[in-house]
Amino acid sequence: MDFALIDLDEEHRALQLEIREYLTELFTPDVFAQEHEFGDGFNKKVYEGLGARGWLYPELPATQGGADFTPLQQRIMDLELDRQDARIMMMRGTSSLPMSAVRKYMPSDMAEPILKACAQGQAVMCLGYSEPDGGSDIANAKVRAVQDGDMWTINGSKMWTTGAHVSTYTFLVTRTDPDAPKHKGITMFLVPLDTPGVTIQGIRTFSGERTNIVYYEDVQIHDRYRIGGVNDGWSVLHGPLDAEHSIGVDMSDGLTDLSIGAGFCKVLAGSIVEVAEWANKTTGPDGRSMAEDTRVRERLGAALVEYEAGINTPGPMGRVRASDALVKQSAILQDLLGPAGLLPMDEEGSIGNGDTEYAHRFAQGTGTYGGTVEVFRTIIAQHVLGLPKASYPGSKVFLAGKKKS
Amino acid sequence: MDLHELRRQDYTLEEISQEVLVAFGDFFRDQCPTSVVRASEPLGFDQNLWDRLVEMGTTTMGLPESAGGDGAGVIELALVAEEFGRAVAPVPYIEHVVTSRALAAAATPALDQVLAGAADGSHIVALASYPIQPGSKQLVPAGAVAKSVLGLAGDDLILYTVEQSPALVRNQGHTPLAWWDFDSAGSRIVVATGANAHAIFKRAHDERMVLMASALVGMTESALALTVEFTKTRETMGVLISTLQGVAFPLTDIATNIAGARNIARKAAWFLDNEPDQRPELPAIAMVYSAQTATHGTTNAAHFQGGLGFTLEADVSLYFLRSKGWSALAGDPSAHLVDIGDHVLASAK
Repeated sequence: MDFALIDLDEEHRALQLEIREYLTELFTPDVFAQEHEFGDGFNKKVYEGLGARGWLYPELPATQGGADFTPLQQRIMDLELDRQDARIMMMRGTSSLPMSAVRKYMPSDMAEPILKACAQGQAVMCLGYSEPDGGSDIANAKVRAVQDGDMWTINGSKMWTTGAHVSTYTFLVTRTDPDAPKHKGITMFLVPLDTPGVTIQGIRTFSGERTNIVYYEDVQIHDRYRIGGVNDGWSVLHGPLDAEHSIGVDMSDGLTDLSIGAGFCKVLAGSIVEVAEWANKTTGPDGRSMAEDTRVRERLGAALVEYEAGINTPGPMGRVRASDALVKQSAILQDLLGPAGLLPMDEEGSIGNGDTEYAHRFAQGTGTYGGTVEVFRTIIAQHVLGLPKASYPGSKVFLAGKKKS
Repeated sequence: MDLHELRRQDYTLEEISQEVLVAFGDFFRDQCPTSVVRASEPLGFDQNLWDRLVEMGTTTMGLPESAGGDGAGVIELALVAEEFGRAVAPVPYIEHVVTSRALAAAATPALDQVLAGAADGSHIVALASYPIQPGSKQLVPAGAVAKSVLGLAGDDLILYTVEQSPALVRNQGHTPLAWWDFDSAGSRIVVATGANAHAIFKRAHDERMVLMASALVGMTESALALTVEFTKTRETMGVLISTLQGVAFPLTDIATNIAGARNIARKAAWFLDNEPDQRPELPAIAMVYSAQTATHGTTNAAHFQGGLGFTLEADVSLYFLRSKGWSALAGDPSAHLVDIGDHVLASAK
């Protein structure tokens, strides 16, 4: 066990300072304003700026556009980015999943320019997983890809393709054999989003984040954009999915967040600090400081307990716990602020940076994206408690409604 | 709260700690089956088990080397507490260990005899939960088996000693609770005064909260294990009840809470051992979260065994009754929350 401050040597301290100064230069007020207005989870100037130094994916070797960062250097970078605004870095996290699949499965002459553009911040990638009639059950994909010689024709629609409107490629789950069991009829493609027949339509969520529905109408894709074997998409997906579910990550160096919900907890922490600062400088109706009000003291205490619960619960369990913590506590903290807690930042009389008002809206998505908390509870039931797998009518369904004879 | 502090987040146990965990896990499994727990009721004390625990070095491991101990940290003591709680062992482990350590910290020659008795387990010591007011009595955890109780009276830390421990008052958790009338205690030794007295008393309470938090983790895990097994064999309408999400999902929440509560307790122990001034609110956080985890966990563990889980015959009842019976000894969670909130407010200034 070790929770000590890391004593940085001169070289690392210099790096930390250099990163901090560079990020302060990059994250100008217009960057935040743009994110606030559009909720892209992305900023071209920031991404290209980081990419120019190999700092967008600094853990990659320099030959792949990274900076050969050690885990410690990586941790320094992540904490400095958190100091700015983690929201803008969302598409970096999203892109890193398909990047590993591209590296592994695509012929190198195809993969290299794509990966290079990503590393330089000139391209990001989004996940074409969920569909309008089924979110978390990815293997149920119905978007159809049909082969004709070297070309594939893709038809259907994908939902919750966050970042599609700023992405160059989407990592697409398609159905290529409707007669096979559902996990065995899937093929993955990397689809350039400027291909004719692709239409992207924005969907605003109440967290402020924009996501998309993407329509594919007779989209023609060369077989070279296929990732992994035909009908072998499920095993291709597993690498990135496992990473998204934080399975098999080594944490013994203490340089990674224990909980995959740690990011949600940062939003909760922002709200806790905001409410505490508000209480310290606000006088209640009885003329006493709100910081002396037992309601305020007890609820802030409870919120900090929940914050610790979120960050100290490991892996997939941490994701469920952190989401629960944020959903419940953000609502309670907002109640403490009264009507002024409803005002978004920049409105007259809004509190702090509007972090609490934002936290309550943001919280609701955390129980859904990346797989709902119910999907994660199913994983925990089977893998942590060893409970038997439930058998549902749809779990081994043949999508064409008939079994191959 | 500096969220961007560059600290390690390493929860892996050192080899030596791992060995402590295994050794005490084996010990309690062998020496304290649930039949021993039941046989100890209503007092909640088993002399034979206590003697064996003393032989294991449990009463000396946490004492400083200067007091003839092994100088173990709160983290090792917390690991023992986890296994102690898993067995819901009828011995005053937590009270005795934290009070002995407080006496050793005071380093007063007048305490040498008591400390020697505490080290060899023959003289059980306990901690008063609240400051002592003249003319009022207090319910003292382990007070029915303790010969001495350490308490804060004004600015003095005093060790009250009696010839004969006061009588047991029967209670929900089957622990050796007793009313102590400090005015009539036979002997009193002023152990420390002023700021030092307050500091020693606070430290002892912090350690008690962390050890109790760990014990509640082990206790809840035992209850969950019983219920998981139950749901894997019990059928309804032709399916195992563990395949129903209405059963499985609440059980995953218990497991999730346990995993977090264990880490918070261990982290709190680490900070007490290494940087006690850095996270002064962590012991209370550990205590509150473990108390919530235990209450919720044992309640649901009993519930998912249906009517059977409601019977005294079911072993899950042992854990359910002790979840509150033990956690309530470390104070009202709401009071702790107010303290934690004060810390949040102070650090936001």
